Amino acid sequence: MLEATNALGNAVLSTGGTLTDPSAAAALAVGLAALGAGYAERGIGSAAVGAMAEDDDLFVNGLILTVLPETIVILALVVVFIV
Amino acid sequence: MSAAGSSNPEFVVARVRARRGQLYGDEEYRKLVRMTPAEIARFMEESSYETEINALGSRHGGVDLIEYALNANLAKQFEGILDWSEGALYDLIARYLRKFDAWNVKTVIRGVYTDASQEAIEVDLIRAGEFDDRRIRRLLEADSIDAVVEVLEDTIYGDPLREAYAEYEETDVLVPLENAVDRAFYERLLGDLPGGEPTRQYEAFLKAEVDFRNAANALRLARSGAEIDPAEYFIEGGELFTRDTLARLARNVDELVEYIAESGYADELGPALRELEEADSLIAFEHATDAALLAYGDRLGTVHPVSVTPVISYILAKEREVENIRAIARGKEAGLPADDIESELVIT
Repeated sequence: MLEATNALGNAVLSTGGTLTDPSAAAALAVGLAALGAGYAERGIGSAAVGAMAEDDDLFVNGLILTVLPETIVILALVVVFIV
Repeated sequence: MSAAGSSNPEFVVARVRARRGQLYGDEEYRKLVRMTPAEIARFMEESSYETEINALGSRHGGVDLIEYALNANLAKQFEGILDWSEGALYDLIARYLRKFDAWNVKTVIRGVYTDASQEAIEVDLIRAGEFDDRRIRRLLEADSIDAVVEVLEDTIYGDPLREAYAEYEETDVLVPLENAVDRAFYERLLGDLPGGEPTRQYEAFLKAEVDFRNAANALRLARSGAEIDPAEYFIEGGELFTRDTLARLARNVDELVEYIAESGYADELGPALRELEEADSLIAFEHATDAALLAYGDRLGTVHPVSVTPVISYILAKEREVENIRAIARGKEAGLPADDIESELVIT
């Protein structure tokens, strides 16, 4: 999964051209951040569902912990406004 | 569910950690030791054993009820763990839980040998292993040892049992059959484990278990002074003994104790060995090995949080809980004082 992300990044970078366009680079940054967040949420989410299956009261905690990595995407979104 | 696909340790570990929180602690044990069997059953009904106690309550009573409820709950929990886990994780957990299959096979063989009724055998089975209900039903319906061997033909126990059956027919003793089952289990237990640091920890634990089992067997043989070849009972896979050293050491208790005291397990077992020398009591030694395994299991639970080790740690803790409650209930039934029972418990 992560290897694939790297390969994708390399491929995009090596083709050059379009990436000299700042907004294209910003879009890539947000996309990669979203991928990272998704990967992190995969693990947390399955653990949270496991915990909830044992104890319903953990729903709120599980939900909060599961969406925490979303902050990475929000921070990455800042880039879009800067460029 | 199956050994295919990638593993899902996050899910299984989260569930297992929640279950671990429900296990009885010091406080509960202290209460249980002071209860009568009926009160223990009631206490269990109010905790995580509720379903089992209610389901079995109408058919059994007293200590039997506790015992069957413990077995049923253990089976349900471990089946659950196997159900949830996938991929490499399933393989690693199933390796250890197959010991219940081995137990069931041995129970059925013994039952058939002694002509016990089907119901009597059934209540002693622990359905926690890999065998599904259909195979267990077929095992129970088998009316001869030959039929049992046939039912198990396509499992890992098939070939070893077939070989041992010939020996059984000659001698009419169960030992070769039981040894065949144990060996098949232990061979699969440590055979080609996949890589990775958590797996190494798991392997170290399994090896320690094999070593302790060998040591306890050797000590028993050495003390009984019986004319049995210790190599017959040797289990492959441990690090402490080889077949030859075990055979040599099992003739002399002092040498054996010294050998263990100088091994890598000296720290864990040192006090128990001294006690063994002074008081000549094997029970203390066996408790010390149990406690050492449990302490090791607890450590396993925290070193690699997202791997197979916390799951194994839970399985061990659960098994220990079941054994402790059984010891309390049986002790109470026999009228032992609370202090004596407390010394029988293994609590960390």
